[in-house]
Amino acid sequence: MRDRSTLTRSLPAKAAVVVLAVLMTASCAVRTTSMLRDPDTVRIALNGWVGYEADAAVIEHLLEHELDYQVQIMQIDEQPAWQALDQGAVDVILENWGHEDLMETYGPNGNDTVVDGGPNGNIGHIGWYMPRYLTEEYPGIDTPEGLKEHADVFRTDESGDKGQFLAGAPGFVTSDQGMIDHYGLPLSIVYAGSEAAQLTAVRDAYEDEQPILFYSQEPSWIMEDLDLVRVKFPEWTEGCDADPADVSCDYPKYDLNKIYRKGFATEDSAAFRLIDAWKWRNTDQNVVAGLIARDGLEREDAAAKWAADNKDVWRPWIPEDAAK
Amino acid sequence: MATDTGTPQRATPAAPAPPPAGPATALLRARPVQAALLTVLLFAVVFGAYAAFGSLPTRTGLDLGLGAQLDRLYAWVVANRNASPLFLYGFNYLSVGLGSAVILIDQGLTLLTWPGVVVLGVFTAWRVAGWRVAAYVAVTFAVFGVLGLWEQAMTTLALITTSVLLALLAGIPLGIAAGRSQRFYRLIRPVLDFMQIMPAFAYLMPALLLFGIGNPSAAVVTTVYAIPPAVRITAMAIRNVDPGAVEATTSLGSTPWQLLTKVQLPLAKRTILLGVNQTIMLAMSMVVIASVIGAGGLGDAIYQALSKANVGQAMEAGLAIVLMAIALDRVTAAAGDGTRTPAIPERLRLPVLGAGVLAAAVAALAARLAGATAWPAGWELSIAGGVNWLNEALQDLVGDATKALAGATLNWVLDPLRAVLTDSPWWLVVIAAFVLGRLFGSWGTALTGGFAILACGLLGAWEFSMDTLSQVLVAALATVVIGFAVGILASRSDTFAALLRPLLDAMQTLPPFVYLIPAVALFGVGRIPALAAAVIYALPPVIRLVDDGIRGCSPSAVEAAVAQGSSRWQLLTKVQLPLARSSLLLAVNQGIMMVLAMVVIGALVGAGALGYGVVFGMAQNLLGLGLTSGLAIVGLGLFLDRVTQGAARQERTAHA
Repeated sequence: MRDRSTLTRSLPAKAAVVVLAVLMTASCAVRTTSMLRDPDTVRIALNGWVGYEADAAVIEHLLEHELDYQVQIMQIDEQPAWQALDQGAVDVILENWGHEDLMETYGPNGNDTVVDGGPNGNIGHIGWYMPRYLTEEYPGIDTPEGLKEHADVFRTDESGDKGQFLAGAPGFVTSDQGMIDHYGLPLSIVYAGSEAAQLTAVRDAYEDEQPILFYSQEPSWIMEDLDLVRVKFPEWTEGCDADPADVSCDYPKYDLNKIYRKGFATEDSAAFRLIDAWKWRNTDQNVVAGLIARDGLEREDAAAKWAADNKDVWRPWIPEDAAK
Repeated sequence: MATDTGTPQRATPAAPAPPPAGPATALLRARPVQAALLTVLLFAVVFGAYAAFGSLPTRTGLDLGLGAQLDRLYAWVVANRNASPLFLYGFNYLSVGLGSAVILIDQGLTLLTWPGVVVLGVFTAWRVAGWRVAAYVAVTFAVFGVLGLWEQAMTTLALITTSVLLALLAGIPLGIAAGRSQRFYRLIRPVLDFMQIMPAFAYLMPALLLFGIGNPSAAVVTTVYAIPPAVRITAMAIRNVDPGAVEATTSLGSTPWQLLTKVQLPLAKRTILLGVNQTIMLAMSMVVIASVIGAGGLGDAIYQALSKANVGQAMEAGLAIVLMAIALDRVTAAAGDGTRTPAIPERLRLPVLGAGVLAAAVAALAARLAGATAWPAGWELSIAGGVNWLNEALQDLVGDATKALAGATLNWVLDPLRAVLTDSPWWLVVIAAFVLGRLFGSWGTALTGGFAILACGLLGAWEFSMDTLSQVLVAALATVVIGFAVGILASRSDTFAALLRPLLDAMQTLPPFVYLIPAVALFGVGRIPALAAAVIYALPPVIRLVDDGIRGCSPSAVEAAVAQGSSRWQLLTKVQLPLARSSLLLAVNQGIMMVLAMVVIGALVGAGALGYGVVFGMAQNLLGLGLTSGLAIVGLGLFLDRVTQGAARQERTAHA
């Protein structure tokens, strides 16, 4: 056992005390926001669906070509993207679907690090979809009752003796199990694990006119590419999905909105004003998304093509004092 | 991911095996195999009795509630990240430092411009490894540019450099300490094992929480993943230093510091450089996984291509990663053995170095003056279209057959096995794990194995664990069967082995994300494409170990058998396979561990179970679910690793 005096006398201990003292002075407190950052770079979170990539592509194109900003696009899931805003690693989420709970945590009533940027003009609607040829073969299959009757049509080796409902990426908002339980549908959810895997399976089934039932959303370029119908659940009303285990209605419609890092909004840069003014329709997004996903264009090329054809749409977004 | 490369001390004891006890000792007569069959039989009897009469509790009261605790911890960190001293004076330092380091290195590479980087890279490769490697490095750089991935490649290079430096900074001192003190090594070994069995994906969430999104977390995760080989190989290198030299130095009265710096380190240098090489390779394998938490670069390019199901684009970035990995491997390997380093007289070394640096500076300056800092767009070329076409053609050609195969495997193999494991009472499975551990290893193995399986239940992940276990067992079986067949063929034909080598290199370095979508196209969404991807990932080390093991058989034993008129089949089954036994057992062990490393990635194409728990926890900010699922994978890994390693050890002692 060493006594206290030897402890403070030994060199490492002394050094540790000094370092600790230095650290404790307030000036050395390091916040995650103090990371090296270039003020001329805008950092946009990119969630893993193509519609969002279309938003990001066009904003990236306009910021780089009309305002001379650099843009860094960071692909990341929805919930971690909010964390990134909170930590100051990202400046903006362009297309947010709901997430009131996260706004509670990070918004003005919580950490006060993010602010709601208002609607981006797109209306989002999640739902259950199937190819149109199925409704011709089994009339009424696109209703809860029809699904109950014909569920075995969707049986696969993976879903066993129930019909297969193919879910999308793990980060997405879902109440599928609640809907299945409420309507007593003999369906089993198979988690594709990523939207890419899911859509690959959907296209594969579509080519061979095989039955397939899956989670998807509008706007989505896949709607333009394949002839799909939406399963008709009763329309969403306030509170019908309050109990996640018993959901008697369809998904609500979302006014998709932008979420800013608070600092990004208060700095009020030209980049911020462009993003704040940006507002477009589902059809605009689908054009760009289709160019990317169906035609295999690079993000930059798709955005450039859309921008060349739609000057009157984006012109008003450019802040007048900042335009080149 | 490449667990095989990280555990060299497991690979080395593949000492020349002593002659077999007798050729008639067929596989079935081996004690462990008999015992395993007996266990399976007993299991079947108890399970049958249970199924017939009982309704014993399967998974009641096992969950200790760790998940809920973790969720509370998560909420606390989110609320206090920029308020608690733990972060203000602790983690945030590391996170801001690392994040800034990656950005600085990346900016340095941008400042150099592409001609500068090429000149510097090729010069370094030539200086260390000679002309052939330098030419290869030049081609690699050209491919980055031509595929339009120059910037991404530089970001990845910056990330790798930061993480590898950090891993060496931590790993080499730890390795030296472990090399000098057996007790210390015993102390940290379980930690190293844990670090390597824990799926990389499961690290991501805690890292995200402690170090923030993007490059800092990516650097930490990559570092943690790459430290174990640095420690292990350094320890081994220090320990293998000729004891005579150490004794002589000590008797001359040198201090421990002198002993280390003047004798042990210089003599161990070559092996330590091998450790550096392995560290780089492991760091490379983390590049794509780190992109999930916002790291940029080539990994991100693959991740983005994957989200559009664009196989061709993913393949381009995958190819760039393969080439970069092989280039780094060749350069560092050459630095280790030193045979290919060009002979330059002592007095010319400094001027040559100066000339190289100067050339790079001139190239950078010239490029800046000419305004050619970015790779010219006209020199780009895409192979994405071709790859996509090939992929579709393959799907049209064999798609129906592979889907039928997938259905059969699910219905006849996976589903029954999963049903048995999930329907059994938990204590029966734990007892079976315990018994298997005792049979293949020691009482210690039995306790570890039994507890590891029990832990899956205590974590509240029993059902998921059994589901995953069934998938891992089937994938491992497929890997071993295919790997042994191909390995044996390779050992019998030099031409085949030579043709196989580049393919195995590519399979080992190509990020598995690249072949996930083709696997879905061929096998549909679900457990089968995940299984197929795992088999592809796990095959190379199995094939290599089998091939090496058979080729390593003592030539005199083979000659004697041939002289006695054995047929080729007899030679293989009676002489070569028994002689190569310890290599073969090691191959089984490595195959299983590699399959296990793919559990989480498989969840991205519908494998579900534990892997999905990790992915879902990550995507939905559920630390409890993500981390307990990750720990349950470690539990399964510990059990499988100990049992198969125990078998290898028993084999060795039985012959000793």
